[in-house]
Amino acid sequence: MKNFNNLLKKEIKELLTKQMLIGLIFVVMMFGMMGQFMGGIKKDFEKPINLAVLDLDKSQYSEKVLNKLSEQKNIKLAIIEETDIKEAINETKEKGAAVLLVIPDGFEKNTQAMEKTELEVYSIMKGLGIKETTSNRTLVAIINSINKEISMNFLQETFPDKNPENITSPLKVKEFVVVKDKMASGNPAMIQGLATIHSTMIPIILMILIIYAGSMIMVSMGSEKENKTLETLLTLPIKRIWIVIAKMLGASVTAFLMAGALLGGFRYYMSSMTPNVSDSGAILENLGLTMAPLSYILLGISLFLAILIALSLCMILGMFAQDTKSAQTLNFPIILLVMIPYFLLMFQGVESLSLPMKIFLYVIPFSHPIIASEALVFHNYSIVFGGIVYMIIFTITTMYILVRLFNTDKVLTARFSLKKLKRK
Amino acid sequence: MQKAIEVNNLIKDYGNFRALKGLSFEVSQGEVFGLIGPNAAGKTTALRIISTLLQITSGEVKIFGYDVIKEAGKVREKISYLPEEAGAYKNLSGKDYLEFMAGFYSNNDKEKREIVDKGIELAKLGERLKDKASTYSKGMTRRLLIARALMFNPKLAILDEPTSGLDVIISQEIRKIIKDFVKKGTTVLLSSHNMLEVEFLCDRIALINKGLILEIGTPQELKEKYKSKNIEEVFINAIR
Repeated sequence: MKNFNNLLKKEIKELLTKQMLIGLIFVVMMFGMMGQFMGGIKKDFEKPINLAVLDLDKSQYSEKVLNKLSEQKNIKLAIIEETDIKEAINETKEKGAAVLLVIPDGFEKNTQAMEKTELEVYSIMKGLGIKETTSNRTLVAIINSINKEISMNFLQETFPDKNPENITSPLKVKEFVVVKDKMASGNPAMIQGLATIHSTMIPIILMILIIYAGSMIMVSMGSEKENKTLETLLTLPIKRIWIVIAKMLGASVTAFLMAGALLGGFRYYMSSMTPNVSDSGAILENLGLTMAPLSYILLGISLFLAILIALSLCMILGMFAQDTKSAQTLNFPIILLVMIPYFLLMFQGVESLSLPMKIFLYVIPFSHPIIASEALVFHNYSIVFGGIVYMIIFTITTMYILVRLFNTDKVLTARFSLKKLKRK
Repeated sequence: MQKAIEVNNLIKDYGNFRALKGLSFEVSQGEVFGLIGPNAAGKTTALRIISTLLQITSGEVKIFGYDVIKEAGKVREKISYLPEEAGAYKNLSGKDYLEFMAGFYSNNDKEKREIVDKGIELAKLGERLKDKASTYSKGMTRRLLIARALMFNPKLAILDEPTSGLDVIISQEIRKIIKDFVKKGTTVLLSSHNMLEVEFLCDRIALINKGLILEIGTPQELKEKYKSKNIEEVFINAIR
């Protein structure tokens, strides 16, 4: 155990270099800054817009519109006195408003005669950012609601004993979703959207971890060969299996640290943009689409096994690396094996795939944690247990091959050469 | 007395290429034995097999009575191997490197400290030991590695071209380190294509060429047999 700790410390020291930590801190800081920036933009969106109005009609009706606009919390109203459009635009700019709404002469007359009136909206753009369109979009939404209100008023006056809403929209839909024997209000798209928020992170975590851990272990193997330290390491009085485990654990610790920092930064960045869905937990709970403590344990086991398999496969491939550069390219097949199930299952559930595709997906060990993250939400345990059993068999097999290879001279003599392949 | 090394009819193939064609020799305990020969003679392959790094195609190799294949773990406890092109971990300082290696050969902190102190003494790198190994010159790295290989008093030190690629002064320093060290009774097996070095260090030598041992004996015996002034001449006469 003493020798193993000694090895593990060395592995972590070799992988967790100053350069790597500086790079990591930089990326996390970038996410933090982007999150701050996006949060600032989000706050800007929530601020009231400065709206200038030029009322050329000066009627009771236009007065009503102005009152309606001034009642809106998200609008700061400025009345323009200039009657010439060019001058009015200049006044709008001076007052710091982003949009000028012009109520034309004849607005009341046209409305009463049930004829369309054209309101002019001038948006003052200072750039091409999303923020530039906010004021305009808010105003258009408000005009739509004024439009609706004028219609409703008319209907109310014409049919005083009827609800105008029932005249414009005589049909109403109330949607329910049934999952097994449980039911809740909502539509499938909404439930899918809510459930996805809970299950999307698992494949992302898996992908980041496997990519990082795989790269780390390959770099570790590649640098042992590049620095000519492998031969000395293999003659030390410690069992080869401990060298393998120390390398795997060292790479995992480093990868967990990096992935944790990155995911933390990423989550902060996303949370600054994603709206809070406060009811999602209750709706999913009503449908039984939440994960029980056992589910989390099973998901943890599934993730752990996937990482172990990835590390073993990467280490086997790492034996063929001659240096750190070739090591970094050799982990491409493993990354591909993680990406395939991720993209396939992003668009459809495993049940809706054809039989050959299903088999293909089940054979890839990295599919199982992704499948499990969805299956556990639906309490479909059999597929999860099946996946875990398959992954245990896969882990034992790859570990056995790895330790066997590590005990032979393949660990020193194995080489991957593109030149050789080309010659063949 | 039990032999330190027993090599019997050792054959090693790399695919279709036969690197060792039936090597046999013995090394007694406390002896400094040199394998000398040109490049690609099979010296490194033989040393790698003795160090438990490579598998054997056929034959038998025993270190202090332990089989290098079946009892590799036991063999590794007795040996210290210095490969020809060895390096140190770039992100560790020289001292960290010695401490890391000492950890495998000590049972407690006191023992570890003693081994590291010995390593520091052998390396003679002074304050530079605190610097990362990536900043060392070739000569400094080699001194560190020699210190690593000898600091824990291995029963058998296997040194592959210990002064290869080094300048005359550093080579001489390293030879002196080895010479002083072997006085304590450690068995040393070294390979070199530097005949003068071998003559200076070794009690007995084996001339090896194309995977075969041509001659074994003390430098004096071989010089007399081939009526040569030095081992270089012996070697040239032997391979003719």
